[in-house]
Amino acid sequence: MRILVVEDEASLAKQLTSSFAEAGYAVDHAADGERADFLAQTEMYDAMVLDLGLPKIDGLTLLRNWREAGLRTPVLVLTARGSWHDKVRGIDGGADDYVSKPFRIEEVLARLRALIRRASGQLTPELRAGSVALDPRQSRVTLDGAPVKLTGHEFRVLSYLMHHRGRVVSQTELTEHIYAQDSDRDSNTVEVFVARLRRKLGVSFIETVRGLGYRIE
Amino acid sequence: MRLVSLKARILFGASLWTIGHFMIIAVIFLNLRHESSQWMFHQRPAAPAGAESSFFLRVLHSTAQSSAATAVIGGLCMYVGFLQVRRGMSPINQLRNRLAAVHKGIDARVGGAYPAEVQPVVDELNALLDERERRVARAVAKAGDLAHGLKTPLAVLAHEAQQVRAAGYEQLAADLDQQIDRMRRQIDYHLARARSVASSASPGARASIAASAEGIARVLQRLHSERGMLIEIDAPASQAFSGQREDLDEMLGNLLDNACKWARIRVKLTCSREGEQVVIIVDDDGPGIEPSMREAIMQRGVRADEAAPGSGLGLAIVREIAEIYEGSISLEASPMGGARARLSLPGQDLV
Repeated sequence: MRILVVEDEASLAKQLTSSFAEAGYAVDHAADGERADFLAQTEMYDAMVLDLGLPKIDGLTLLRNWREAGLRTPVLVLTARGSWHDKVRGIDGGADDYVSKPFRIEEVLARLRALIRRASGQLTPELRAGSVALDPRQSRVTLDGAPVKLTGHEFRVLSYLMHHRGRVVSQTELTEHIYAQDSDRDSNTVEVFVARLRRKLGVSFIETVRGLGYRIE
Repeated sequence: MRLVSLKARILFGASLWTIGHFMIIAVIFLNLRHESSQWMFHQRPAAPAGAESSFFLRVLHSTAQSSAATAVIGGLCMYVGFLQVRRGMSPINQLRNRLAAVHKGIDARVGGAYPAEVQPVVDELNALLDERERRVARAVAKAGDLAHGLKTPLAVLAHEAQQVRAAGYEQLAADLDQQIDRMRRQIDYHLARARSVASSASPGARASIAASAEGIARVLQRLHSERGMLIEIDAPASQAFSGQREDLDEMLGNLLDNACKWARIRVKLTCSREGEQVVIIVDDDGPGIEPSMREAIMQRGVRADEAAPGSGLGLAIVREIAEIYEGSISLEASPMGGARARLSLPGQDLV
């Protein structure tokens, strides 16, 4: 799962980025509205965390433009503007959730998880497929109840496939959603991660659909 | 009303009045002076007279006959003159009424058409109102900047507190959290208050109850989406609050959010008109509030020494804003089983 953090205040941006990375997400950061707009239009995100008071382009304007252009990525607005009037404008502008500063990072993480889960049509917090269970709340994976140790990349591949269970996910799409923008990407490594996941969770757990991609039933 | 120059109208009215006045005085004067002649005239109507006296009597005769008509014409002149002056003064009365309407918050600016002598005064008054509104808006924006500027550093601090906790300093982290929460509440409270004090002073504002409540309901459906709340808004489209939309949003937001926090599943807002007031009622089906606790809940979170985190405050803000608009809020038991908040605000009909 990959998210975009749009926040102009450097130290808060750093804190958010590291907290999200710790929680198992691939994280990109934009410090102003123009950069955020560019990234949102060109990259694939599973969710965005958006500040409203931004340099260059105001966050609310960005949000309205994205929604008008048909961009459906879930957006959590994280802002100092905490009045109810601002909240109404944010939600009516197309935000999926609204948290005002200061906040507890656990709350933001919980809301972000719920947004991603709902956007992919999952109803329960814990994702299950066969004997494998993935709990995004603790970034924890179990096989028949026993915890399985995964690396960050392995976790993101598994999490993305389980969020989109039953659908064939192409290698390119998977690559888009597990790497942050500035990291080296190599779609071959996706194969490596899948192979490692199969070794840990059972060979038949991730199905290869020839020429199309991967699927978890 | 045709806009004849105020000066011309008053001058004309005053002249008519004066002419009428003179005519009546002249009649009275002549009648007094020749009372005896008239008496003679009545005593000896048929007596023959000399040429000189006969001319004098004829004049007297015609004067006596015409004095009644003259008095009537004089009276009429005075009356018309009086009407003209009164009509000439009517723009001043109109101005007073329009100004009172601005003061009461019914109109935003002094409206209406005025004669050339009064219009500049009206223009100056409106310019003054414009200028005042701009200043107030600037001050509110500055207060907002201050509040928002403080919140991002607070967010950074809150995160640092998290690190402190992770490093094992539990007590220190708890102290930090408590202070950060206190600062946040103080900022929210005083910002909301500053905003409504300022905006309640800018006249002519109105906000639809239904539009505001439905907006808040959309937000709450999102924020409480995991709980699947049923938020029912039953407000006639014609009802409006005589005040700013931001303040109405803040009051309804806090009331409905509070109701959602306590409700099992249902929250309902209804609205009706009681005289000059619009009464908004928010019900929930939660556990309700002990009668003895109601007053305490309204106060909670305001005082700086209040330590309970995250609770109350909302209702204290609602009360504060309502009182700025000379409204009120009270808590009762709801027929739905939980708590009922009754918010009474200055209302008007939306045209």
